[in-house]
Amino acid sequence: MADLKITNLHKHYGGVQAVRGIDLEVASGEFTVLVGPSGCGKSTLLRTIAGLETPDGGTLEIGGRVVNYVRPRDRDIAMVFQNYALYPYMNVFENIAFGLRARKTPQAEIETRVRRAADMLGITPLLDRLPRQLSGGQRQRVAIGRAIVRNARLFLFDEPLSNLDAQLRDEMRSEIKRLHQELGTTMIYVTHDQIEAMTLADRIVLLREGLIEQAGTPLDLYERPATRFVAGFLGSPQMNFIPAQLTQSGGGWAIKFGDNISLALPPRQRNGFSDGQSVVLGLRPQYVTRANGSDRPGHQRLGVTVELVQPTGSRAYITFPLGGVPTVAELESHDVQRPGERIDLDLDMNRAVLIDPESNRVI
Amino acid sequence: MSESATSAMAAGGVAAPAGHAPDRFFKYWLIAPAIFLLLLVGLFPLIYSLIVSFQNITMMEVDTSFAGFINYAQLFKDARLWQALLHTALITIIALPLELVLGLLMAQLFLERMPGRQIFVSLLVLPTVISPIVAGATWRLMFDNRYGPINQIIGWFAGEPMTILWTVNPNLVYPSIFICEVWQWTPFMFLILLAALSNVDKSLTEAAEIDGAGYWRTFFKIVLPSIWPVMAIAILIRGLDLVRIFDVIWALTQGGPGTMTETISIYTYVQGFQQFETSYTAAIAFLVIAMLTVIVVWAIRRMGLAK
Repeated sequence: MADLKITNLHKHYGGVQAVRGIDLEVASGEFTVLVGPSGCGKSTLLRTIAGLETPDGGTLEIGGRVVNYVRPRDRDIAMVFQNYALYPYMNVFENIAFGLRARKTPQAEIETRVRRAADMLGITPLLDRLPRQLSGGQRQRVAIGRAIVRNARLFLFDEPLSNLDAQLRDEMRSEIKRLHQELGTTMIYVTHDQIEAMTLADRIVLLREGLIEQAGTPLDLYERPATRFVAGFLGSPQMNFIPAQLTQSGGGWAIKFGDNISLALPPRQRNGFSDGQSVVLGLRPQYVTRANGSDRPGHQRLGVTVELVQPTGSRAYITFPLGGVPTVAELESHDVQRPGERIDLDLDMNRAVLIDPESNRVI
Repeated sequence: MSESATSAMAAGGVAAPAGHAPDRFFKYWLIAPAIFLLLLVGLFPLIYSLIVSFQNITMMEVDTSFAGFINYAQLFKDARLWQALLHTALITIIALPLELVLGLLMAQLFLERMPGRQIFVSLLVLPTVISPIVAGATWRLMFDNRYGPINQIIGWFAGEPMTILWTVNPNLVYPSIFICEVWQWTPFMFLILLAALSNVDKSLTEAAEIDGAGYWRTFFKIVLPSIWPVMAIAILIRGLDLVRIFDVIWALTQGGPGTMTETISIYTYVQGFQQFETSYTAAIAFLVIAMLTVIVVWAIRRMGLAK
């Protein structure tokens, strides 16, 4: 059964449409990540689910019950805030116990449940401390503890890791993933960080300007983006977008760039093509490698001049011109030495996407 | 300034030329003028009045010989003094919570964004801007038994002209004072508490809301602790103001009818500048200072403000 069902949800602030008709279903136990650039409505959507905002249109169901006007406390949800929102005048124990006390849980049960949650998160030694005596990562654990102690139906996370430094963020990310596996509860997680989205999600919901751009598993969105926006948002370094034209060559199709370079397309990409049609070729830097002599089906070889080399350790990002656009490839660091070098690259055209420049949709 | 910072400065050649040992007392020389000025302005009048309180100066004679504890012994026999202290305590105990609660309610109300909020806040704060003696005089006119608008309005409802003696009738004189006092100083509480409330981290109350806390639990466990440091200061300031209350009551009743609304400040003024019992007045002043010191020190400890 769906734990959360959203139908045609609208929310606006004054004249600004923050959420403009969203339909979404989240299955029980699913880890859903709402991701998108700032101002895309992801936080508004989460706050509306939590009941901190009232929807202006549409319906919101939690566990089969319409909760549009139900108070947050009666929605059976728990939430972790971006700035932790720990109660500054209570120690860690009281912070975690607050929700249980508010719901008149017997003292003995509070005691056991708080200790169990603290054990799970490794914060038992901190129970007597005040929030201001904790580090950022510890505060985040307490905030998560406060959420999981209540056994809510729905867990909401509002950019919980964005205030942590890079190393702690990685650590807490795996912690949250582990918690989800242990607890098996439904989680909805808001982030603007595509790595967090890719690593955590069972399903990613990518939002843009108050609408769902695409929803699906992380690999779905990564390999089969529906629009240029999705293709560009996920993946690092960003996908290359190179304007080109479709041409018919021999039995198949090829794409031709402004600088008269032409690359043959694998046979399956051909439905609805017309000769001379303008397209944008989308190619991820990861699908460009150093050519090694063997010809594989769908792969194309291209000799280029390296303009820029950015080593990152095991990998190196190189930039070369293609169709008048600086294009990035992610190579092994020993593949390339210095700028100005001429090398042969192998382009995996099976993984390339073609985008209609008018509608920005993937063809 | 820390020891190391001072010696670092001295070593740098600012205080002592190179080669001389840095003067360890240099920092005290720096603050000496300020301390001297403070002592002159603050402590001298205090000591002077302490001296006067052990003499026997009145309007008739200037006897500056040591009179022992005569004036202080007199304090304990002076029933009018203890009455005045009682009146002061009564006014403080009633007006302070009234102003606090009303101010808090108003602040809560104005926390929401609403059209015209700025204008309303400015208008509401106006009474605090007026000098208390003017506020008292204004209310005196409002309460006037024949020309005052208050009696006029009550008359409209009653259907006959009313001549209620607000500032004379023993049953109404305290309510009149409270009305004027609360009218003037609730906005002060309101303004300070509004600032404090708008600084409460909104995600805290939202977290409490999701955690299942009701309005009162959220208020007492989350909001109140957050605004308490500011609120405690406001209570302290208003409390001290109320203990010293003079202008409003002087303008409204001059302590009357009889001595029914005579507060300690009014009594001190009457003793000093109408009866000219100068030395006795100094003794009263010292009694008040002693009492207030005890109360303030206790309050500051109790409120945790010294931390």
